[in-house]
Amino acid sequence: MTETFEPKIVAFVCTYCTYAGADLAGTSRMKYASNVRMVRLPCTGRISPMFILKALQKGADGVLVSGCHPGDCHFAQGNYHARRRWTVFRSLLAFTGIPEERIKFSWISAAEGAKFAELINSITDEIRALGPFEQYQELQKVIETQSTY
Amino acid sequence: MGIQEQYRTDAANLLDSGAVKLVIGYGEGSTPERRRPIFIRSAEEVGRLVLDANCIANLSAYLVPEGLLSDGKSVAVFLKPDGIRSVNILAAEAQLNPEQVVILGFNIDAGLANPLPGRKANEFAPLLASLKSAGLSTDLQREADRLEQMTAVERFEYWKEQFSKCIKCYACRQVCPMCYCRRCIVDVNQPQWVNTSSHTLGNFEWNIIRAYHLAGRCVACGGCDRACPVNIPLRLLNHRMSKEALDTFDHFAGESADQKPVLATFRQDDPETFIL
Amino acid sequence: MTRILLHSRVDDCLSAWRSAGFRVLAPSKRNDLTRFDEVHAASDMALDLVLPERTIKDHFFPQTEPLLNYRIKKQAIESDEMLPPQQKRIFFGVRPCDASGLEIDDALFGWDYKDRYWFSRRENSVIITIACTRADDFCMCTSVQLSPDSTKGSDVMLHPLKDGRGWRVVTLTDRGKELAETIASMLQEDASETAPAASVPVKFDLDKVTSWLADPSNFESHLWKEVSQRCIGCGSCTFLCPTCHCFDIQDEGDTYSGIRRKNWDSCSFAMFTMHTSGHNPRNTQSTRWRQRIMHKFNYYQGKFGVNSCSGCGRCTRQCPVDMGITETLQEITNLPR
Repeated sequence: MTETFEPKIVAFVCTYCTYAGADLAGTSRMKYASNVRMVRLPCTGRISPMFILKALQKGADGVLVSGCHPGDCHFAQGNYHARRRWTVFRSLLAFTGIPEERIKFSWISAAEGAKFAELINSITDEIRALGPFEQYQELQKVIETQSTY
Repeated sequence: MGIQEQYRTDAANLLDSGAVKLVIGYGEGSTPERRRPIFIRSAEEVGRLVLDANCIANLSAYLVPEGLLSDGKSVAVFLKPDGIRSVNILAAEAQLNPEQVVILGFNIDAGLANPLPGRKANEFAPLLASLKSAGLSTDLQREADRLEQMTAVERFEYWKEQFSKCIKCYACRQVCPMCYCRRCIVDVNQPQWVNTSSHTLGNFEWNIIRAYHLAGRCVACGGCDRACPVNIPLRLLNHRMSKEALDTFDHFAGESADQKPVLATFRQDDPETFIL
Repeated sequence: MTRILLHSRVDDCLSAWRSAGFRVLAPSKRNDLTRFDEVHAASDMALDLVLPERTIKDHFFPQTEPLLNYRIKKQAIESDEMLPPQQKRIFFGVRPCDASGLEIDDALFGWDYKDRYWFSRRENSVIITIACTRADDFCMCTSVQLSPDSTKGSDVMLHPLKDGRGWRVVTLTDRGKELAETIASMLQEDASETAPAASVPVKFDLDKVTSWLADPSNFESHLWKEVSQRCIGCGSCTFLCPTCHCFDIQDEGDTYSGIRRKNWDSCSFAMFTMHTSGHNPRNTQSTRWRQRIMHKFNYYQGKFGVNSCSGCGRCTRQCPVDMGITETLQEITNLPR
C-alpha cells in the first residue's frame, strides 16, 4: 500500500486580512486542504525571515506568508516593508538552494475567503508534487544522531 | 612626496592641531606582505603608518565600538572607497556622526595606493556615484552565475558542503563594519532562533541570516571572506544580496549618508511579481 | 639498522590498516579547506603542507558533541546517554605540534573528572607523526620548548629521508609498536640519511614571559590594552588552536524533547563570561585577551606544569587582524627588565 505524501505547510498570516479571509472560508463552509498550520500575527511586517527558517528547521515542507493587499495594511505600511524583505529573502533562499516553490507569498483580504481556499489547495498540490523537503530535513536528522567518530 | 609620506604628514597635522584625537591606519604586519590596523594618538608615532597596495582591510569597523565617538571629538581613518561607503551606511543607520570622521582616502590601482581628494564622507559623493554606475563586480557575478545555473538541489548541496566547514567563530561578523548589533540574533536565546551548535543545520541558518542582514548594506570590502578561517565563499552570498538590492530597488549601499536603508523603506510600486 | 617506509608503500599500509579495522585519517584538501579527513589512498593525502588549516583536536574534541537526548513527559523526564562510537583510528601525517597538543590537553580532560568522550577517542587512536622539514613564518614550536621533530603525543614518528623516497620509522609507544607490526612486511631495513629538521627560530623568551605573567602586579599592565587594541573578538584563534578546550553545554530542542550538546566556546567572545544579571566580569576585549594568554602560560602551567601552547602558530597565521600569541609574548619579552 502506498500512502500519498501529505506535506506540512506552515502559514504565517496577518490577523486583519488573511486570517480573516481564512475565517470567511471556514464560515462559508468552503473545503480546503488540511495541510496548513496557521500562525496568526498582527501584520506581515511582523513576520521575520527567522520564522521561515524556524518552520523549515522544524520540518515544514513548505511555507506560506500572506497578508493584506498593498494599500490595505491596518498599520498603513507594514506590508510594503514586508514585500521588500520577502523580495530579498526569497532570492537569498533560492541562491542557497531552498526552492522558491516551497516558499510562497500572497495577498489575501478579509473578503477573499474563496481565494484563500483555492490558494491553499493549489499550494498543497504543488508541494505534494515536490515531495518532502528531504534535503533540509536530512540536516535535522543528522544532528539527532551520534557523532560519527 | 609619496602618498605614504603625505598621509603621515597629514596625520601628524591633524593630531597636532587637535582636529582629531586618534588616527586609525595601517602598520607593518608579521610578514612583509601583511598590514595590520594600528591606532595613532600622537604626532610622534606617525612614522609607524604604512600605506601601500597591501592595505586592503576596511578599517571602518573600528569606528563603531561604544564610546569612541561619544565625546564629540573626531577620529581620522584610512579608508578605501568601500570604507567610505561603510561610513555612509553607519551614518545613515545613526551609528555615527559623519562630521566626526576625517577620511584619509585612497584607492589601490595597478598595485599602487593613490590618494583620493576629500576629508569628509560627503565630499566623495561623485566618486561613489561613479562606482554605482560602474556596477558590481563582474568576477563575482560570474561565480554567482555559475551557481545559479545549477539546479536547486545541486546548489543546496554546494552550500551544504561549504557551510559544513563553518566553525561558528564569527570572524565574519566581528570583522564586518555593518555587524554592530549589541546582541546578535544568534546570541539571542529566548527564543533560540538559530541553532547555536556548529552542525551543518546551525551553520546553514547562521550563514543565511548573516547574508540577509547585509542585504543592501554590504560594500563588498571582502573582509568576511578574508577573515573566514575555513574559506567559505561568503562574498558570493553578499554579492547576490547586493545585486538584488541594486537590480530591484536601485539601491547601491553607502552612496550617501542620507540614503535610506533598503529594507527600512519602500516604494508603493515596488515589484511584486512573485506574490500570489 | 633502521627501518624505513617508502612513499610507494603507503597505499599498501592503508589497505592493511583498513582490513585490520582502522579508519585512517590524514591531511587532505576538500572544498578549499585542508584538514584531517578519512583517506583511502596516498593520493588523497596532502602531506606537503606545513600544517593543515584545521587541527586534529577536532577529531578528539569535536566542535559540537551530543551528550544525551531527553524527552519531557508529564510525570517524568527520560534521557539516554549518547556516547562516541568505538572506532579504531589512525592519524597519519600529524605534525609534532598538533600531536603535542593532544598530550597537553590530556592533563585537562583527565584531571578531576576523566572525560570519557576525549579518552575513548584517545585510546582508540594511533598518532603517526611526520617530523617537519619545512616551517613557515608563523611556526614557533621552538619558542615553547618543543621542536619540529619532538615526539610528544606521538605513537610513531616518521623522519623524512634526505633523498625524498620515504621516511625513517621510529616507534615510540606500545601502541606504535603494535601498529608497526601490522605493516612490518612493508618496511625495509635501510640506513639512508634523514633530512634535517626544519629550522624554526626562537621568537620569544618563554622563561621571561612566564615569570612576568606570574607577577600579580602585571595583571593590570597597560600592555594588555596595547596589544589587544585591534582584536575584533572573533573566535578563530581559539577554534583553530590545537590546545584550546573551553566548551559550553547547550540544550537544543523544544518544550518536549531535545539534545544536550557540548559545543566549543571561546574566551574571545563577549558572551563567554556574561552573567545572567547582565554583568560581565571580562567586559573588554583586552581582559579577554589577557585571560587567553594567562590561561595558556600561567594558570595551565601552575595547575598542570605545562604550557597550553604547542607552537603551531595558527592563531597568528589565520588572524583577520594579524594578531596572535607570538606577538604578545614578543612584546612581553621586549619589556625592559
